[in-house]
Amino acid sequence: MGAFLGDPILLATVLGTNLPFISMAAVLLFTAPNPALSSKISVAAIAAGAVCSIFLLAVLHGGSPVVYRTLWFNSGNLDISFGYYLDSLSLLMLAIVGVIACLVQIYSLGYMAGDPGYSRYFAFQSLFAWAMMNMVVAGSLIQLFIFWEMVGLASYFLIGFYYEKWSASQAGKKAFVMNRVGDVGFFLGLIWLLIGFGSLGIPELNHAADANALPQGLLTVSALLIFCGVVGKSAQFPLLTWLPDAMEGPTPVSALLHSATMVAAGVYMFGRIFPFFAASPDAMAVALAIGTVTMLLSSTMAMVTYDLKQVWAYSTVSQLGMMVMALAAGGYFAGVFHLTTHAGFKALLFLCSGIFIHQFHTNDMRIIGKQGGRRLVIPMACIAVGALALSGVFPFSGFFSKEAVLAVLAAQPSRIWLAAGLLGAVMTAYYSFRLIFHILLPRGGIEEKRHDAHAHRYHEHEGERRGYIFWAMAIPVIVLAGVTLALGFFEHPIEHFLVNSNTVQPALHPAHGTGAQVDGGGAPLTIMGISAGLFGILLAWFEYGRKGADRKGFLSYFPAIWKLFDSRWFLDAFYRRSLDLFVYGGLTNLFTRNDRRVIDGGIDGICFFTESGGRLFSFLQSGMLQYNLLLMVLAVGGAVLYLLM
Amino acid sequence: MNNLSTYLIISALLFSLGLQGILLRRNLIGMLISVELLLNAANLNFMAFNRFLNADPVAGQVIALFVMGLAAAEAAIGLSIILALFRTMHSINIERAQKLRG
Repeated sequence: MGAFLGDPILLATVLGTNLPFISMAAVLLFTAPNPALSSKISVAAIAAGAVCSIFLLAVLHGGSPVVYRTLWFNSGNLDISFGYYLDSLSLLMLAIVGVIACLVQIYSLGYMAGDPGYSRYFAFQSLFAWAMMNMVVAGSLIQLFIFWEMVGLASYFLIGFYYEKWSASQAGKKAFVMNRVGDVGFFLGLIWLLIGFGSLGIPELNHAADANALPQGLLTVSALLIFCGVVGKSAQFPLLTWLPDAMEGPTPVSALLHSATMVAAGVYMFGRIFPFFAASPDAMAVALAIGTVTMLLSSTMAMVTYDLKQVWAYSTVSQLGMMVMALAAGGYFAGVFHLTTHAGFKALLFLCSGIFIHQFHTNDMRIIGKQGGRRLVIPMACIAVGALALSGVFPFSGFFSKEAVLAVLAAQPSRIWLAAGLLGAVMTAYYSFRLIFHILLPRGGIEEKRHDAHAHRYHEHEGERRGYIFWAMAIPVIVLAGVTLALGFFEHPIEHFLVNSNTVQPALHPAHGTGAQVDGGGAPLTIMGISAGLFGILLAWFEYGRKGADRKGFLSYFPAIWKLFDSRWFLDAFYRRSLDLFVYGGLTNLFTRNDRRVIDGGIDGICFFTESGGRLFSFLQSGMLQYNLLLMVLAVGGAVLYLLM
Repeated sequence: MNNLSTYLIISALLFSLGLQGILLRRNLIGMLISVELLLNAANLNFMAFNRFLNADPVAGQVIALFVMGLAAAEAAIGLSIILALFRTMHSINIERAQKLRG
């Protein structure tokens, strides 16, 4: 205990990561009937967590990784340890999670005001932050897996927060089940690795992978299985449809879920044991292909939807695909940096959208535009900043990270990856600005609504309270917009921090080579990247922004393709069909038959046998007392005779 | 005349009479009386064995007294059952009481 208090780093780690859990317990157990107090406790805890994480980042900046470890249990020659592993990656991620979770909770103070589940909401937010922070600092893969699952659980609670709504509870279930599919692979991979390698400690694993101490067969199989976890959690190609549905939760939840927690967990885990993945070229090739397919598919989906949040949800999927591509192409820094900047601007985009949705009570970008979305100056400006960053326009943070990713892709032997990356960049810019132009330049101007006077009166009555709500939402948005503007210029310090101070960074890996390219040799590439973004924006302006634009989009000339994109490439239909066919038609049917025939039938058979046996001998019950007596006398007499003989 | 087998034969005859009564009579009171005969046959055996084989004369007599007490209790309970049966069936004929026929 003395050592615990005497070591400020350990103290900050333990407190910072576990305060949200304490606040959740306090809210759920004691203060649930008092929403105002609950939210204060929760926000205070997460703010303390954010401060601790920034403190850790500041103190340990540039030092070598810090490891705390105690034995959890051992079985045979297997030691499972429990502890913290603080290196540059986990410190950076911890700070991101802490800050964004804190901003989102402050925002929620306004967004969720008056909701009947206010206390519950903050409790689950705290649970979410707690799980994610503990996952980030986990010292072994098994510990990471435990909190990985906790993150999934918390997101299930939050996606299905409006559980009275059928679609919300379905969306929560879908997210949970699809994650389980990936997690089964993850867990099998962990077991396979444990059997083959004997330890699940993250530093040990990365050192062994660096030293080529792992047999290639073990490595490839376990890396592919563990990658299944990334596919589920980060919504990669076969399992991507849960994320767009996950916006059934409150908007701040989407902001948190799409930026710093949940989906970031998959990419973070990829980066966490990056040397391990990098040692297996086959697994990296599969990951690269999956990332590319994911990015392209989900970008096309985003081009046809009119739902504000859905556009950002698809765009999250595609940006995650881009991160996986970058990591799988060997760009450790590019992937992690894109994760960092994306966390900032995607949270910004969702929080801005949340203000629009809160104001206009609709998700449809056309209606928001018509009702005067652009009059909300602060969110409008901030959403534009976010969209510019997402499209990769200088000087916003997305520009820098996207350039880094494209540079990594350009270093690949095949040109196809770079082409896919550029195509993705064009589509990203197109769909982001399609949304911006819809809101900023609505067709036929802004409709004056009849109930404006009524709204005005309402405004006067509750002016002060509405002001509080508005500023609670606006301040986090402004902070995030500032971060989005500034973060890009910290590319080199962050790169230096991530790559050089990380002792487990693989020396044999092309990541170092691409680092140089980002600095110097990428001038044509930079031009290509910028022009891809600008081309997308121009296309969107031509179709949606300019005067007299028909606002249909070129895709509306191809109804079949529109339908294909709009129905998510029929992935959901495919899942539905295979679910009906294999699960409901096959497995469930078998289980039903087992229940009806074997279990019910067996019990019925025993009853039938007993009953018919009883009927068989019931003739002995003649009802005549004296026959029974006679039989008894004969039996006793027979026994006596037998004994005497 | 004063030997053991005489008593045993009388006792066996008594027992057979009781058995025949209990098996053949359809009147419940008749069956109850036959049970008394069976008990008395057993009592006679106890007394005879006690008299001819055992040096201690007390044990057999005590048991015989017990059996008499038991018989009195049995008669009381049996008669009250018969009374109850008569109240519901208006008959004490055993052939009427066949509700448990399978």
